[in-house]
Amino acid sequence: MKKNKWLHTSMALILAAALTACSSSGAVENETSAESTDGTTKLVYWTMDRHDAGYIEDKIKEYESLNPGIDIEMKVMAENYAQSVDIAFSSKQAPDILKVTSLPTWVKKGYVEPFDDHMSDEMKERFKDLIIEEKNMIDGKVYSLPNTGQFWRLIYNVDLFEKAGIQEPPATLDEMVAAAKKITEVGKESGAYGFAGNFKSPSGFERVAYPTTTLGKGMVSEGYNFKTGQFDFTVYKDVAVALRQIREDGSMLPGSESLDVDPLRAQFAQGKIGMYFNHSVEPSVFKSQFPTEVRWAAAMPPTVDGERNGAAEVISGTYLALSKNSEHKEEAWKFIEWMYSDEVQVAYQEAGNGVSVIPSVAAKAGAPDIAGIEYFLPTNEDAIYPANPTGVTEGRVEGVKKGDIFNKFIFSGGDLDKDLADLNARYNAALEKARAAGDTNVQPMPDFNPGDLKGTLVKE
Amino acid sequence: MNEAKRQVNAWVFIAPSLILTLVFGVYPIVWALKYMFYDYQGYGEAVFIGLDNFGRMMRDQAFWESVVNTFIYAAGKLIVTIPLSFLLAVILNRALKGRHILRAIYFMPTIISASVMAIVFYVIFNSYNGMVNQLLLKFGIVNAPIDWLGANYALITAIIIAIWGAIGNYMLLFIAGLQNIPEDLYEAASIDGAGPMRKMWSITIPMLGPVLQMIIMLAITVSLKGYESIMVLTEGGPYGKTEVMYLYLYKLFFPVSTGSTSIQQFGYGSAVGFVTALIVGMVTLIYFYISKKLNDVY
Repeated sequence: MKKNKWLHTSMALILAAALTACSSSGAVENETSAESTDGTTKLVYWTMDRHDAGYIEDKIKEYESLNPGIDIEMKVMAENYAQSVDIAFSSKQAPDILKVTSLPTWVKKGYVEPFDDHMSDEMKERFKDLIIEEKNMIDGKVYSLPNTGQFWRLIYNVDLFEKAGIQEPPATLDEMVAAAKKITEVGKESGAYGFAGNFKSPSGFERVAYPTTTLGKGMVSEGYNFKTGQFDFTVYKDVAVALRQIREDGSMLPGSESLDVDPLRAQFAQGKIGMYFNHSVEPSVFKSQFPTEVRWAAAMPPTVDGERNGAAEVISGTYLALSKNSEHKEEAWKFIEWMYSDEVQVAYQEAGNGVSVIPSVAAKAGAPDIAGIEYFLPTNEDAIYPANPTGVTEGRVEGVKKGDIFNKFIFSGGDLDKDLADLNARYNAALEKARAAGDTNVQPMPDFNPGDLKGTLVKE
Repeated sequence: MNEAKRQVNAWVFIAPSLILTLVFGVYPIVWALKYMFYDYQGYGEAVFIGLDNFGRMMRDQAFWESVVNTFIYAAGKLIVTIPLSFLLAVILNRALKGRHILRAIYFMPTIISASVMAIVFYVIFNSYNGMVNQLLLKFGIVNAPIDWLGANYALITAIIIAIWGAIGNYMLLFIAGLQNIPEDLYEAASIDGAGPMRKMWSITIPMLGPVLQMIIMLAITVSLKGYESIMVLTEGGPYGKTEVMYLYLYKLFFPVSTGSTSIQQFGYGSAVGFVTALIVGMVTLIYFYISKKLNDVY
């Protein structure tokens, strides 16, 4: 009997332990933030950003010295960040402060706490033009705020341009195709090609198409037409045709079809690529990851016909969020508030970590100490667009996704008109389902005028 | 020891693995069997939608292309791997000097992480400065670099990497099988005047029957389920040319690229998971039925 009692107890313990490990709910409190015995409050901060880790660590030390009772532990989790966050929340080990990846999803999952009750009037005023429904605000509540943005440019090798006798970066897609051809003609001997893209990823096409089309036409972002409230991928036809032409001309770096962004940068740094598209992170990448002797510059993206009816879309909207499960919300919020302060953000930009979208920071920040960042500073033709429902729609799209359709056309050709009609039909059907399921509240904006976005970040 | 005590002892030994199997093996399957009838993205309310996920799957061209790619990938891998690993096993089972070192070298890819392997092969095969192209160009075999990871060759490249990774493993299993064949059978055959080929056909292969059946079955299931190195090498691209079933499934649960599906699809993923498991199970069953004869050892 005694033995059986031990047996039953042991089995119950094993079962309980196993089930607890699998449990996704329960009354277990968050385990990461804690009050240590000496009265210090420990906060845990997760991010997937590596490029600014040194700067943030210094700032954390500074904050800790200003606030002796606070100990902040930062974890940089570059790989599988989203999955790590999911696991942390289901196992009640979530950090107190998080760098945001997908805010609408996190809000629906109940991970994050609204800022509204914590924000001072002064802070609300500083960010009033940057609060956008379904980007950092969900159902009228603010869950995060932006700090920097991705400012998209055409990056080009000045030496190769000069060698090919090209004076100016291309302003139209036709000029871009012609420039790629000329560069390849003079560079092929030494292994240099006019153009490259990281088409291994479905986003390879989007990196070219989105900035080009938002600046030129402006009505559509990530395939979504703000005015009609429907998807319309036909706006990207000219870009796809131009890239197909570059490929047909033999002006695209061999292997672009399977190229990742880092190998692309490495090839550019070696002078093998004439042009490619990327955003404001590139100067710091060329400073630390791929130091280069190449003379390079960046310009506003070319447009279909040289007309600029919209503004190049700046990817921005979120930065830090406060965990709903934090046991030290007040302390965590104080740190978040400090991180969003002009003092920290001005220094952040000046250290070359990114280009700020906060108007008060843009007005105060000096030139960043990093070569090439000047090409990426905000202009009156850069703007943050309203939220689009592409992210929540994509998961419901049946069949081949947009990126693969365009990449396939660029490298293998085909009937693009037919593919685009099919793509529109499938994405709009998925959008209807996403709206019906309550995944998005984004509705048509009949009065949307992309020209109005010009000058919203900086006037000049 | 009485019967009751024996029963208790048996359950004590079984309990840990039984509990772990129930929690980590059976529970996820039951979970997936439920959610394949739901629209569920990992948060919010799961909505019962009957067979809609299966309807979507039937119309999902990308999924069916991944099924076709999987069969090409598995067939390509098996056709080369099985004969080659068998041949190596036969050679390295002989009294060859340095055979232990050679066995270790051939087995090494098995213990290297698939992700590391894929990164190394990316360096070898990429078209702009990869070693393979440099050699081909140097010896004048090709005039222009071949895009080994492009649409036309990516699946072949993935198969080559899979073969490289698998040969050593199956070679070792074949060696284990070969060492179980009684030596006196070969001696008797020699006395009867049989040559090496005759011994191979009449003794080695028939005696290896059950081992061969097991090895091929393992190879089939592993090949149909393999995706790790492809995920690192091409992410299933370019435009789905190397997308295999389990990579497609993985992406539904854990989106890997910002440009592709970025929202988890637990409901649809469960349905796809069920059908992919069914496909692998059916292929294995068909194989077992066809290969029944291999089990008949003389």
